[in-house]
Amino acid sequence: MNRTLLGFIRKELIQAVRDPRMKFVLFVAPIIQMALFGVAISNEVKNIRLAAVFDSKDFVLRDVYERSIAGTWFVPAPVSGEDPFALIQAGKADAVLVPPPGGFTRALGRGDAHLQLLTDATNAVQAQAVENYLQSILRQTVRDDLGIVPPDPPIRFDVRVLFNPSLESSIFMVPGVMCMLMLMTTMVLTNIAIVREKELGTFEMLISAPVSPAEVIYGKTLPYVLIGMANLPLILSVAVFLFHVPMRGSFLVLCGASFAFVCTTVAMGTLISTFCHNQTQAVMGGFLFMFPAMMFSGLLFPIDNMPAGIRWMAALDPLAHYLGLLRNIMLKGGDARYVAFHVAVLVVMAVVSVVASFRRFRTTLQ
Amino acid sequence: MTNAFVWTRAAAVARKEVFHILRDPFTLTLALILPVLMVALYGVAIDFNVENVALSVSDSDQSQASRRLIETFASSRYFLVRGVGSPAEAVRDVSAERARACLIIPPRFEKDLLAGRGAEAQILLDGADNSTVGPVAGYVGSIQTLASKQIADFDPPRPYELRTRFLFNPELNSRWFVIPGLAVVVMAILSILLTALTVAREWENGSMELLLSTPVRPIEIIAGKLAPYAVIGIIAQTLVYVMARTVFGVPFVGNQAVFALGAVLCLTTYLAQGIFISVTTRKQQIAMQFAMLTGMLPSNLLSGFVFPIASMPPVFRYLTMIFPARWFMEIARDTFLKGSGFLELAAPFLALTFFCGAMVLAAARRFKRDLEP
Repeated sequence: MNRTLLGFIRKELIQAVRDPRMKFVLFVAPIIQMALFGVAISNEVKNIRLAAVFDSKDFVLRDVYERSIAGTWFVPAPVSGEDPFALIQAGKADAVLVPPPGGFTRALGRGDAHLQLLTDATNAVQAQAVENYLQSILRQTVRDDLGIVPPDPPIRFDVRVLFNPSLESSIFMVPGVMCMLMLMTTMVLTNIAIVREKELGTFEMLISAPVSPAEVIYGKTLPYVLIGMANLPLILSVAVFLFHVPMRGSFLVLCGASFAFVCTTVAMGTLISTFCHNQTQAVMGGFLFMFPAMMFSGLLFPIDNMPAGIRWMAALDPLAHYLGLLRNIMLKGGDARYVAFHVAVLVVMAVVSVVASFRRFRTTLQ
Repeated sequence: MTNAFVWTRAAAVARKEVFHILRDPFTLTLALILPVLMVALYGVAIDFNVENVALSVSDSDQSQASRRLIETFASSRYFLVRGVGSPAEAVRDVSAERARACLIIPPRFEKDLLAGRGAEAQILLDGADNSTVGPVAGYVGSIQTLASKQIADFDPPRPYELRTRFLFNPELNSRWFVIPGLAVVVMAILSILLTALTVAREWENGSMELLLSTPVRPIEIIAGKLAPYAVIGIIAQTLVYVMARTVFGVPFVGNQAVFALGAVLCLTTYLAQGIFISVTTRKQQIAMQFAMLTGMLPSNLLSGFVFPIASMPPVFRYLTMIFPARWFMEIARDTFLKGSGFLELAAPFLALTFFCGAMVLAAARRFKRDLEP
């Protein structure tokens, strides 16, 4: 590495962290965000407001209701003898259990009891989970209270969850938050740093200076690779020490994969910057990239069942590859072939973006 | 009277800003493409109902019963079955990401079944992938019932039944849940970001000082600069609404006026927040980061857009209350799907009005303090 480039990188690093607010944005904000989002976001079903309409003699339904409330899934919702539909419509309850006329206990004695569950299905996934859960509570309660045991089905499944047996939601979510933060700190900042030089007109100055275009580009981008890599141990320690996400694979492999990812995002940021003329455009362009990137990453929505016509977008999404790598390395210990393949994909993406941005720079600057 | 707000001066600033936006068609196009692209992508791609789950099957029994069991999985449309040799190989498929789940059938499966002891097979799910574990665990239950019925002819009368009515979204369509929420996310991105950046740019270029030395008063500058972005925000909302209704057929059972009022309140709050950020930071790079921290991330992650607020720890449930996105999310979803009116949405509207007033006041004071001699 030559001295001009080293000097350039130093200048750029100093410039990036000169502003104390920038230091905060670069090194403190990711830690805070890791901690906040790691705690806050989960797909668990909790605190569903459940109401049940029953009279004092209907002890089975009362028992079902009390058992439901005892867990973390449900909290009691006030019932005021209203129409159960109105209760949900008015936003006072999320689910209401309605017994058949005469009460659920008596209907059970007759042998054809239909307990009705009204539930707010705005969130469809959650509504189905609530149905399944109440189903199992109902089965247990009827068995315990009345001794009615439905015969065991002849074929049974013993279901276990690998790698995260207690379904700890932070173990699902934290790797996702990690890769989102790595993306945001590297890609948008690189993009903006380059576009700012263009906007202020200092880029022309750099070109007339005795540095080669390659040195300009490497000098502008490598500091952000360094900053991104400096973030990795910070957020990784939050993940491991605060959230107890297991680190079953090798730290070095993880570093290698992260390095490939950071290079890719910085290179893509550079490529986007060649299309932008001012910082507003740079930010909007960055968003236009980050949004699809987030949604095809597999964190928010399952990739497997997207229509085949757009599933290829997930294959082009560096975030999807990196999230897969993080999960595979951290939770499963890293499968050599899987890791090698996806790191290679990231490297190819980085190389393609670097080559493309060199071409764009050559045409726009000469 | 020098202190009065002069409409013509504000209008002049607004006209200048409109020229500014029009001269930069790239940004304008991006601002209008973003909502369309997001609704289109989300609408097409999102389906929480997981299908085509890759399932590795290790069948050590190789009997008629085990083959019929595998057939039940394969024909359920939930699973894509792939046969492997040993159980260890099936598990290895999961750790190498070739499968999301595996089914391990033990050697005595058919014997146990015929002997009436009940046959048990093991299912292992990939706990590293949050989006599939829950739904797949749900499917397993229904396949158990189905397999027992088809293979062992087991269909006992049920003494009782839970009948569920799924209100407001009887088809359990996840798009109906997500697309109205996009209105909020689009708003948070566009309005905070664009205003924070444009005003910060005036500072960076030094043209803000120039503007201030003219007879235009600070409040007129704010109003003039915000008006065009308010229009862009409203156009973006309309785009989301029209696409949701026409392209994706999301129902709107509520009152449009209620939704529109919520949108305007939220928009005003965000524009004020954008101004506040830009006056405080005065640099585009930092303004952008703060706009993301206080606007985009909370609107995505802490507003109930995908991750339910009720599932958060208590501290966070209260914390989400300071984000306008959370309240507008409630208004958007409830007017779209539940048809709620002002009465049911009193709390969100009160909160939004409060934050709107507070934010406008804070921005105006900050602007005044920093600018007036």
